[in-house]
Amino acid sequence: MERQKALHFQIDPRSGLPVYRQLMDQIKYYVASGGLRAGDQLPSIRDLAVRASVNPTTVVKCYTELQHEGVVEMKHGKGAFVAASTSELSDIERRKLLSQLAKQLVVEAKQLGASKESVEEVVREEWDRLPS
Amino acid sequence: MSDLALEAINLTKTFSGGKVAVSSLDLGIPKGTVYGLMGRNGSGKSTAIRLFLGLLKADSGSARILGHELWTATRPVRSRVGYVAQQPQLPGWMNLRDLGRYVAHLYPSWDQKLFETAAERWELPMTAPVGRLSAGEQRKSAVVLALAPQPEVILLDEPTAGLDTIAKREFVNLLVETLADRPDTTMVLSTHDVGDLGRLANEVGVMDRGRLVLSHQVEELQQTMRKVQIIYPDDRGPEGLRLPGLIRQETVGSVVTAICRLANDQQLDFLRSEAGVRMEIFPMGIEDIFVEVFESVESTLLQDARN
Repeated sequence: MERQKALHFQIDPRSGLPVYRQLMDQIKYYVASGGLRAGDQLPSIRDLAVRASVNPTTVVKCYTELQHEGVVEMKHGKGAFVAASTSELSDIERRKLLSQLAKQLVVEAKQLGASKESVEEVVREEWDRLPS
Repeated sequence: MSDLALEAINLTKTFSGGKVAVSSLDLGIPKGTVYGLMGRNGSGKSTAIRLFLGLLKADSGSARILGHELWTATRPVRSRVGYVAQQPQLPGWMNLRDLGRYVAHLYPSWDQKLFETAAERWELPMTAPVGRLSAGEQRKSAVVLALAPQPEVILLDEPTAGLDTIAKREFVNLLVETLADRPDTTMVLSTHDVGDLGRLANEVGVMDRGRLVLSHQVEELQQTMRKVQIIYPDDRGPEGLRLPGLIRQETVGSVVTAICRLANDQQLDFLRSEAGVRMEIFPMGIEDIFVEVFESVESTLLQDARN
């Protein structure tokens, strides 16, 4: 409960990515990085809307979609919680997300003139940095 | 009962001197929507808002809020609607506390706590004559006075003009809190500063020369509007290229840049299978879309003028 209060949410209203998707990505990131753990309570709709300065209906949509993906559980009258098991993403969906991220990384790396090996090395380092 | 909070049908207004300010405007805004009305200066946004409010009389067509023409509506109906003008005209000799008392008297739904909290957050002086406040403070005062009666529909004409970055964010959060407390509130925000709209608006409309040239859900636009860049090999140009959902296309040598409206990006997969052709697809934010809509309107008008 204390931990989630410190989490920062940042929205880029000029981005082509819908605001609810930006929020979803940030919550997923916090779950993947240990900033949020299974069973943690997520901010209330009002609280997250004010913190991110977005329309409350956008937060509702974000939580609904995350529930759909199995990342979030809604408990009646209590709010939203990080689901016990977050490995509900289908293999196809996971593959698709990974490809998008990898594409960004590869484009940037090539721009920097980095070698394939050094990119692989950095990915391995970052992988080991986060708890499994 | 209609589920539309605002509805304009064939709304037209011409000013003396012949300037057509609003031309055959059809617009429906469902209850609970935050609607961003975009357009350049002089595109007819303010006139449309004033027609809705009954501050101007339409030449033809109708403009209704909550099912009523405000031109003829009774006070109880009008009190369900809030408005902040582009240049709020507050009586300069009154202070904000007295103004609050005065307005509270007119609205049974006045929320004194909301009034005080918002005024405090914006550090608005309660006891100085509002005429002596800065332009920004006067604007904020007008916003606070319009929100405190908890209107079902609120129209804000260029509400963030003249506010600094911090005040803009505080303004957005004031609206966010209003929406959190009363999700059914309908808001219409007219602006040429598109940035902060992306945080709040569910729907956007673009006005140009008195007409509505686009009106859509924000997420739908973000999911369908794409900027596409196709680079052909040097020996081959884009002859015969037919892009689906094409809005605008520009070709310079072997490089094609296009704006398309696509159901999904896979609609362009046929280009990926062409040897030597490279393609990038970029999503577009509402600011990009706004600019592109204008460029395509301008180019269509130019073509019309030439023909």
